[in-house]
Amino acid sequence: MIAKKHMPHYMMVLPFMLLFAVFFLYPIASGFFYSFHDWNATTTTRFVGLDNYTRIIGSRDFKKAMWNLATYIVITVPLGILVAFCLALLVDSFKGTWSNIFRSAFFMPVVLPAFLAATVWRWIYTPNFGLLNMVLGWFGLPSLNFLNDTGSMLYALIAVDVWVSAGFNMVIILAGLKNIPTDVYEAARLDGASPLQQVRYVTVPMLYPVLFFVTTYGVISALQVFDVPWLLTGSSFASYGGRSNALMFPVMDMMGRGFGSLKFGQASAYGFILTAIIVLFTAAMFVFRKKGYDQ
Amino acid sequence: MAQLEIVNVSKSFGKTDVLRNVNLDISSGEFVVFVGPSGCGKSTLLRMISGLEEIGSGHMRLDGKAMNSVDPARRGVAMVFQSYALYPHMTAFENMAFSLKIAKQSKGVIREKVEKAANILRLEHLLERRPGELSGGQKQRVAIGRAIVREPKVFLFDEPLSNLDTELRVQMRAELIQLHAKLKTTMIYVTHDQVEAMTLADKMVVMNGGVIQQCGRPLDLYDDPDNEFVAGFVGSPRMNFMKAEVISTSKDSIVIGGVGGEGRFEIPFTGFDPAIRKIKLGIRTEHVGFVNGQPEQVSLPAKVAFVEELGDVSHIHTDLASGERLVIRSTGQRYAGSGDCTAVLDTKGLMIFDEAGQRIRPTR
Amino acid sequence: MTIEAAAEVPATRSIALTISPWAVLKWVVAICVAIVAVFPIWWMINVVFSEPGTPVSLNPRLYPTSLGAGFDKIMMIMRETDYLKAYYVSIAYSLLTIVGVLLIGSMAAFEFALFNFPGKRLMFAVVMLSLMVPTAVTIIPTYLLTADLGWLNTMQGLVVPGLASAFGLFMLIQFMKTLPREMLEAARLDGASHFQLYRYIALPLSKNALVTLAILTFMKTWGNFIWPLIVAPNPELYTVGQVVGLFNSPYSHQTVDVVMTANLLAALPPLVFFLIFQRKIVEGIAMSGSKG
Repeated sequence: MIAKKHMPHYMMVLPFMLLFAVFFLYPIASGFFYSFHDWNATTTTRFVGLDNYTRIIGSRDFKKAMWNLATYIVITVPLGILVAFCLALLVDSFKGTWSNIFRSAFFMPVVLPAFLAATVWRWIYTPNFGLLNMVLGWFGLPSLNFLNDTGSMLYALIAVDVWVSAGFNMVIILAGLKNIPTDVYEAARLDGASPLQQVRYVTVPMLYPVLFFVTTYGVISALQVFDVPWLLTGSSFASYGGRSNALMFPVMDMMGRGFGSLKFGQASAYGFILTAIIVLFTAAMFVFRKKGYDQ
Repeated sequence: MAQLEIVNVSKSFGKTDVLRNVNLDISSGEFVVFVGPSGCGKSTLLRMISGLEEIGSGHMRLDGKAMNSVDPARRGVAMVFQSYALYPHMTAFENMAFSLKIAKQSKGVIREKVEKAANILRLEHLLERRPGELSGGQKQRVAIGRAIVREPKVFLFDEPLSNLDTELRVQMRAELIQLHAKLKTTMIYVTHDQVEAMTLADKMVVMNGGVIQQCGRPLDLYDDPDNEFVAGFVGSPRMNFMKAEVISTSKDSIVIGGVGGEGRFEIPFTGFDPAIRKIKLGIRTEHVGFVNGQPEQVSLPAKVAFVEELGDVSHIHTDLASGERLVIRSTGQRYAGSGDCTAVLDTKGLMIFDEAGQRIRPTR
Repeated sequence: MTIEAAAEVPATRSIALTISPWAVLKWVVAICVAIVAVFPIWWMINVVFSEPGTPVSLNPRLYPTSLGAGFDKIMMIMRETDYLKAYYVSIAYSLLTIVGVLLIGSMAAFEFALFNFPGKRLMFAVVMLSLMVPTAVTIIPTYLLTADLGWLNTMQGLVVPGLASAFGLFMLIQFMKTLPREMLEAARLDGASHFQLYRYIALPLSKNALVTLAILTFMKTWGNFIWPLIVAPNPELYTVGQVVGLFNSPYSHQTVDVVMTANLLAALPPLVFFLIFQRKIVEGIAMSGSKG
């Protein structure tokens, strides 16, 4: 009786839930299963317990990838958001058409597929005849091999990343700015707050939820960085990560173990390690946010 | 014969009872208004008639057929919503034609019926417009047109005028009365505005706390309310209430004291139950005045708090010695002063309620 | 009161004067940033539309110099490589994904946003939790499943696993929640069946959200690099992304200008889309951001 009454509802959600179960829930479950097995996609599986996990955590590539990731996140997320915030304030300070024109211009890199952004930047970074080295040449500076010098590779990546993500975050922050009622600023001005003080005491606190979202989202996507460093380096399963693995990142390492060395058991385990990190981080962010509200 | 019978209907959301044992008969062609404060269950009752809300317990019959498990679309009812609920992506014509289209009527029939309804509502020139291009009153008429097109046995209106400004509301009220006269179909109308209820209703159903307090012709409810709630709800400004004590009773009169402080007087009343001591007096503002001299009138000292001057009448709000508020309606002269005065009660207008708020009527 | 008002007039005037250097600075910064943001794309266009072989020292490619050379390169790529085929694949991949995501997502969103039925909360919670699970963890098992189904190097292998988009569902739910309940009730009284409510009321009223989701889905599918890379390694089913990857690979022996032509062709659809639908795209991203 109840089932019959609700039948139309179930019929409508069925396609989504079916696909979701088959192509999301099942893969997660099977991935969890593989992560405890040694499997190369052809031979039968062999249970190995936590071997995959311990092997990954013990490997040099993993440590390098984690170290790179940590450095990358610590720089790229705050820098990206700071830039996006300033751009949002800048766009917001213009009126009408000019505001739209600048917004569109700053947003343009987001539209470009990540794989294109990476390839274009690779050419900009090219030694000798690359655009950047050309500019350096005008100032009489020596040509640099940005993507092959372990000292500069990570920063080259961060530059691309900020270039790509700033527009995206800017648009979200801009929407947040528009939601702040103007009378709050007017009240602050009557209270004698300078423009800078208005940003500090009105804009930032009122944007708190938006900034929280942008930060959380930024870190979660940074944890999964793959396309851009992949294309800035060898971009094949035979060669990736760049010189002395300076641009080796966890997802890349995982993909390499899976599709490069066909160790799918290890690759699955890698995925769960990453998920654990992301879930821990997200939980930490929410606890942190709750504390922020309580104060 | 009753067209719509509501028998012992109750409904609760979780632990709160929204409706308790509602019994109501509605005859064919009646204009019935459910009125009461928000949360009194009037909208829930209407939605149960429409079928949008399930009937908790009890029965509902339309033309003798049980409606409890009939699909809303097959009940033969049409509803006009407070927010109009017009489909914004369709023109006025398409809005009105939607139900016919769903029922797979032919194009010719649809056009004929919609144009007929549009003619009744003077909407012909607006049919190609979308709701966004219509004014509030026009939207309301399209919403009514959408209901007319379905040729329902019963029209349901859920606070349809509350989104309109005062002037338009008065105008739409008049149009609804004319529409009812023309269509002669049963109409059930929900509102929280007692003035609207008084002006529209053949039968007025006053509800509070999920219970029907009283139902009847508007003026009967005004003149002869069953309880304190109805007495207070119907009529504007509100009826005055004062606590009082019965000092002594005789066959055809009682002596009451402690009215508004020290007031003590005798009023005619046949067959008062001598066991009752504490009562509440109710008196409408038009039965209170300043003029003294008539024998059935009694007076109380009062102090003017403030005056609402409306031009044709003035409502003089006064405080009695007991701290109770007594409002006096004065049409004779404009009152400009303040300070102490003497309020005169016309005992013919006095109503007596027991402590629980039930009316105590004289036996005849 | 009047005295204060009078005092205010010269004050604002002096602010207007002191603010002008700020205004200049603001413009300079905004224009510089705009150049940095747009220049790589501009540069890409210039490399394509200039004579090949001219040394950078003579032509630093700061503006296009030869339209003909650019078109020659485009024609050359179309003729001599499988670029056109990759275009078809990418367009088919994007369109099928858009249609699927919108259809399946809007049907489910309609139920989740507007009705109650047993199991709804649980289903919704599970789908929303999936937003937190990184693609990284599902991509390999999903790949293995697709392989088991025999869908490697097929269009359905590319499209179907991506149709149950939790993000799309979330966005549509947020929108459909704002549909007035009374309107659906009115339609129900008008005799519309459950499916007709979806078809005639919810779907047309969600047009804006659907268009926005369609555009965002297009951007995402067109730019999807990793999934086609692993699931369709056969050159027959190369997407634009993969072909561009080939052109750019360190082992390709193409010259810069040819590579940039390939890149420009890949960038064209999203750029054109952006220029047409700017507002929708920006609002869509802002909406998903401020509500997430």
